[in-house]
Amino acid sequence: MSRFKSTPSLSRRTVLLGAAGLLGGLTACGSSTDKASSGGKTELVYRLWDEQQEVGYKKVFEAFTAENPDITVRMEVLPWDQYWTKLTTELASGKAPDVFWLTVENFPDLAGKGVLAPLDDVIAKAGLKLDSYHPNVVQSYKFEDKQLGMPKDLGVVGLLYNKALVSKAGITMPDQLTWAPDGSGNFLEIARKLTVGDKQWGFCSWNHSQTQWLNWIASNGGKAMDKPYGTFDFAGQKSIEAMQWARDLIFKWKVSPDGTRTNPPTGQATEMFYRGEVAMFPANNALLPYALPEVKFPIGVAALPAGPAGRTVVINGLAEVMFARTKHPDEAGKLIAFLGSEKAQKLMGDAGYIIPALNDAGAGYAAYWKKKGIDVQPFLDSAAGSTVNMPIAEGWTAKVAEINKTANNLYLNKTEVPGIATTMDKIGNDK
Amino acid sequence: MLKPAPRRGRQAQRQRQTLAGYAMLAPSLVGVLGFLLAPVLIVIVLSLFDWKLLATPEFIGLANYRELFSDSDVWHSFLVTLYYVLICVPGTTILSLLLSLLVNRKLRGMKYFRALLVIPWMATPVAMGLVWTWIFDPGRGALNQFLAVFGIDGPAWLSSSLLAMPSVAAVHIWQFAGYNMLFFLAGLQNIPAALREASALDGASPVAHFFAITLPLLRPTMLFVLITNVIGSFQAFDTIFVMTEGGPGNSTEVATYLIYDEAFRKYDFGYASTISVLLFVVILVVTISQFVYFERRTTYDFS
Repeated sequence: MSRFKSTPSLSRRTVLLGAAGLLGGLTACGSSTDKASSGGKTELVYRLWDEQQEVGYKKVFEAFTAENPDITVRMEVLPWDQYWTKLTTELASGKAPDVFWLTVENFPDLAGKGVLAPLDDVIAKAGLKLDSYHPNVVQSYKFEDKQLGMPKDLGVVGLLYNKALVSKAGITMPDQLTWAPDGSGNFLEIARKLTVGDKQWGFCSWNHSQTQWLNWIASNGGKAMDKPYGTFDFAGQKSIEAMQWARDLIFKWKVSPDGTRTNPPTGQATEMFYRGEVAMFPANNALLPYALPEVKFPIGVAALPAGPAGRTVVINGLAEVMFARTKHPDEAGKLIAFLGSEKAQKLMGDAGYIIPALNDAGAGYAAYWKKKGIDVQPFLDSAAGSTVNMPIAEGWTAKVAEINKTANNLYLNKTEVPGIATTMDKIGNDK
Repeated sequence: MLKPAPRRGRQAQRQRQTLAGYAMLAPSLVGVLGFLLAPVLIVIVLSLFDWKLLATPEFIGLANYRELFSDSDVWHSFLVTLYYVLICVPGTTILSLLLSLLVNRKLRGMKYFRALLVIPWMATPVAMGLVWTWIFDPGRGALNQFLAVFGIDGPAWLSSSLLAMPSVAAVHIWQFAGYNMLFFLAGLQNIPAALREASALDGASPVAHFFAITLPLLRPTMLFVLITNVIGSFQAFDTIFVMTEGGPGNSTEVATYLIYDEAFRKYDFGYASTISVLLFVVILVVTISQFVYFERRTTYDFS
């Protein structure tokens, strides 16, 4: 970044300033060194990437410190990209935050490495029961029969829609949307009615595994993967049909912009929904707090369309995990247990940040969003119905990046779908 | 007549001077050793290890290098890098030279123009990359909107494997042309005005003057600009990371991006170090060749 700025005139001053900055950075970065200050007080470091939820967690940690006067929690918010590179290098150097957030996709890279503390004892000691949390989230953070993550929240996929465009087209959203690979079903019908020229699309079929093609595959009766750490089957007939459908929505039925405008990393799919160019847009419920300030229209929520095999949606829940080499295992354990408690989960849910991973704790979440004029019940219903986890495999962060890159081709109509699917399998099943 | 100081005294004095010299150098030296040389050595050592982050490093000698030479991804990334360098270096150099000729005039407000041209270099590359992805957006981007005025249906710049590389390279050129212009400008202002008058008296046209007088006398500047540009283009990462992430496919996967991918996506720090060493050697060889080429053709004396 500063390659031109520093090299030609590397003066003593810049070097010294740089050194000072670096040292400052090193000492300032949060890791659980000996922060047990005077009076037996302990400060734990809690790392997250969501600056909206940071506000909510302030209340959670106030409640925690009220119950545990000797323990305070300091939050560190890092931007998404930096979060993972920094976390990994910190874990390798043996100095990481005491408690931090983890995603399903990043779990396999850490699970077998001994850097995450098993939480079974903590959970048992606190009197918590794992079967009172959403099974998908519990399962996602299990490794070799050990629970390495405390289920935090549910990311459920639902269909957001632009109420202004829908009512302008004179459509009432049916209770149940349906789709099938041959184009039958009321979903496509509605999407076509909502498509106007080449300025407004009824739907956005774009390369986003969690909210798009993984759901098409599951609701077509296919399986992206047979079991966690199992074998990928993108080239299976049902999966190929589903991925072909994702493409047909663009090139055959013409109800969606194509990949040149939506493919990551440069695509603008979400922004197109915000701008009112796309009427129906599948999203994780976690998008709502971000979407609301961006849009000038009321947002409606429907459940994803049901396919030939019914409706199955992806659940992408987060977990809080504990660094195995934390200097304060007892205190961090207490914090983990508190975060899993009904009190903490409801504090976050009732403030509308998350759907708690704890079962039957979503009422406050629904009430919060009702006040904002959005009925989120379809998210909760979808989570209670048939659900599927995101696939995971050894070395997943590297593989998933490659698979997602390959899936960009689904949205470009250049190469045949079966060939793309075979390549995705090859990447996933490698080694 | 002054007697020469006794030999031992002179020696002691020289030693003191040497020590004082090093003492004054020390702060810079610490920086250079600690932040430039040490990392290079560490990377060379790491390249001899099989080190997946979070696992124990294991010494494997030259195995990483053997893998390197049969790894088609690596060769592809170096070809892509070469392509990038071949667009960026001539592009930046020629454009910055032209700009410097343009702003090397005494007109009112000229210093504001100069400052304006340097702004792209002062802005954060990541932010610039983001802004350019908006400009390149096929539907609403400023570029295609502009082309639409002339009835041209602009392409999807960053989603086409053919156009993605020239597009990100164009951003690089835009970003560094103004900055390099400053060096040429300094070079131009060092050329004595007498030469201008002499060539005019001899009846040389402005074009002839430029090629026969200005350009040869700019060689020291040219050497500096070319070398820093070649190094910078070989190491380009940030705009590519933001704009294409090496895609579509691997059409913009330059060497630095591959290194990032190996290190921070696959956590294979040993192999990432090996690719870094290769990149280091390539840049070193290219830079030395440039020096050798220019050494025989450069004059620093304008009198």
